[in-house]
Amino acid sequence: MTTTAPAPPQQTPVDWVRKNLFKNWWSGLISVILVPLIGYMAYRSLRFFFVTGQWDAVRVNLKLFMKGTFPNMQIWRLIAQMMIFALAFGIGVGTNSAASQDRAEDAGLGYERGSILQTLARMWSLVAFISLLLFFATTDDVGNFINPFLVVGGALVMAAIGYQAHRFPRRIRNVGWLLTATFLVIGFQVVSGFDAGGWVPLAIIFGGVAYGAVPVERFDSAWLRFALRLIAIAVVVLIVQAVYRAVDSPGIGWDKWSGLHLTLMVSAIAIVLAFPLGLLLALARRSTLPALRIMATVYIEVIRGVPLITLLFMGQFILGFLLPGGTVLSAITRAIAVMTLFSAAYIAEIVRGGLQALDKGQNEAGQALGMAPPPIMRRIILPQALTAVIPAMVGQFISLFKDSSLLSIIAILEFLGVRKIIHAQADFRSVAFAETLIFVAIGYWAFAFAMSRESQRLERRLRVTR
Amino acid sequence: MTTEHNPQIFSDATKAKGEAIIELTDVDKFFGDFQALADINMNVGLQEVIVVIGPSGSGKSTLIRCINRLEKHDRGRIVVDGIELSDDIKNIQEIRRETGMVFQSFNLFPHLTVIDNITLAPRQVRHESKKDAEDNAMALLERVGIPEQARKFPGQLSGGQQQRVAIARSLAMKPKVMLFDEPTSALDPEMIKEVLDVMIELAEGGMTMIVVTHEMGFARAVADRVVFMADGYIVEVGTPEHFFTNPQEERTKLFLSQIL
Repeated sequence: MTTTAPAPPQQTPVDWVRKNLFKNWWSGLISVILVPLIGYMAYRSLRFFFVTGQWDAVRVNLKLFMKGTFPNMQIWRLIAQMMIFALAFGIGVGTNSAASQDRAEDAGLGYERGSILQTLARMWSLVAFISLLLFFATTDDVGNFINPFLVVGGALVMAAIGYQAHRFPRRIRNVGWLLTATFLVIGFQVVSGFDAGGWVPLAIIFGGVAYGAVPVERFDSAWLRFALRLIAIAVVVLIVQAVYRAVDSPGIGWDKWSGLHLTLMVSAIAIVLAFPLGLLLALARRSTLPALRIMATVYIEVIRGVPLITLLFMGQFILGFLLPGGTVLSAITRAIAVMTLFSAAYIAEIVRGGLQALDKGQNEAGQALGMAPPPIMRRIILPQALTAVIPAMVGQFISLFKDSSLLSIIAILEFLGVRKIIHAQADFRSVAFAETLIFVAIGYWAFAFAMSRESQRLERRLRVTR
Repeated sequence: MTTEHNPQIFSDATKAKGEAIIELTDVDKFFGDFQALADINMNVGLQEVIVVIGPSGSGKSTLIRCINRLEKHDRGRIVVDGIELSDDIKNIQEIRRETGMVFQSFNLFPHLTVIDNITLAPRQVRHESKKDAEDNAMALLERVGIPEQARKFPGQLSGGQQQRVAIARSLAMKPKVMLFDEPTSALDPEMIKEVLDVMIELAEGGMTMIVVTHEMGFARAVADRVVFMADGYIVEVGTPEHFFTNPQEERTKLFLSQIL
């Protein structure tokens, strides 16, 4: 502010009302009508929330909302999963903030590392939702008192432990990312089981690390480099496979998951699978090979023209005929497949938008340096195109997350579908529909809002250095 | 019309200095119906500095963009360092590795730091180790006068600094030829000199260069030959003295009278 600018005049509440509500005769008229109306609605809402609402329907069934029909004896798996995910989350946040700090300091920019408390403050919608859960849990009965607090407290402790990854010295910084990914997979498999067939995700992660870590640069022969990388990947994959074969401990497959847990897992799996698929589709649509381009275009346009709910029904009733005889997929597997295939088409269009928006000078600069098309795409084009479309991309992820509620229509008991069980109970047969709906709505909002906030922050951070 | 149009090209005054490293023979290039290059014949000798001038739309940029196949020529032969440009992607990449290019709009990679901008291609294409590539990059930044900016991002640098990084980035591939496409046209006036100084030093160091520019001072100072283009044709070729004191063609005289 310049020194000549006058100090803002002190505004009394009366001034505010006059300026904002009664500026002229028609704004005054609107205010006279709307203010009592809004006041009355607020009164009714608050009365419902705090006086007349039958929140017992939520309170008593809190566990059902969270885990649905997941076997009671196996709840330790869900708690273990939360702890491991919290650890992975902490490691991720710590590694990311340390890496950002390194970059900023190198570039001569100031950087203040945020604390884990700031991270929680940013995700206030989730904190509020968890507080709501704790409130319900503690007002239920004393028997439940200790557990929810232990769980939430334990998760916070795990996150704080994970955050210590920011202390890793710089040259092993990337180990933090490796640990994050590894713990995410292990956390997932604590529930789904470490059976012999579960080696694939870790094999992909460690195989990728092996691909990058083999010092092949000194060899000039492209074939030799390729062979060395192949050997390294093969060795790693075989080791991972052997470990899983040795452990081979089955867990609870996702056809037995339900509640909020299922909603979160289905969304996460569909996002993780749809992103690379969408990326490939976007590249295929821009390919110079006509066959590839036409196939990708047809796929994208067909999927985008059909409602998701239609595809979900088709997934349940038609997918079985298309698969080779005897293949039986659980309803949830089919639903995840449909959601993945559906989202991939939208993600492809978002990525394509990012690719088109990029200045063609970037491609030319890479070409002029003698780089081949794949490294130009990987190292120059995609990092910029994907950064540019983060808001649209996260928007698509949020839609996918919310659309997972459609699974309740095809008889899958996810977060919204759990209401069917609750309202089949004798106590809540035809009451408290609104209460359970509102609770579910708050749950969806809490996660969707946190995702949206996080994407804004990510966008800002990636733009800082431009 | 074409042959009598540029009678000077193979005269003694315009002979290449060393043995020819770039040879263009009867090159034509069309954008739709528009002929961007017409009957281009030109040899560039080793260690020669050629400055290409001409009004906008005359095909100057297209000419050098054809040499590293950012544009595909429609007729004629282009041979760079003994390799003829064809549709073979291997050949094209081979030639691109031998020819560095500096763009009017820098085209630095904004998501990478300065040093990563410079080391990306040597590591990806020449498979240099990280340390070798970075040592070389620092030496190049030293040479263009901005080693202290190595860890910054392009967006934090001035235009002149960015263009010097772009030159260093091209040099990191150890090219035999450097192509400059109006390297100072996007710069504020006070930054032009720092870029030209780097280019002059490069020329004095014996680099083969083709420079499209409007900087006549640069042409006078370092060019071995000046090529004047109009409407896709090479109208006149000559030494800077010949060119600025005694131009032969009417088009050349008109152009020079407009800009000098």
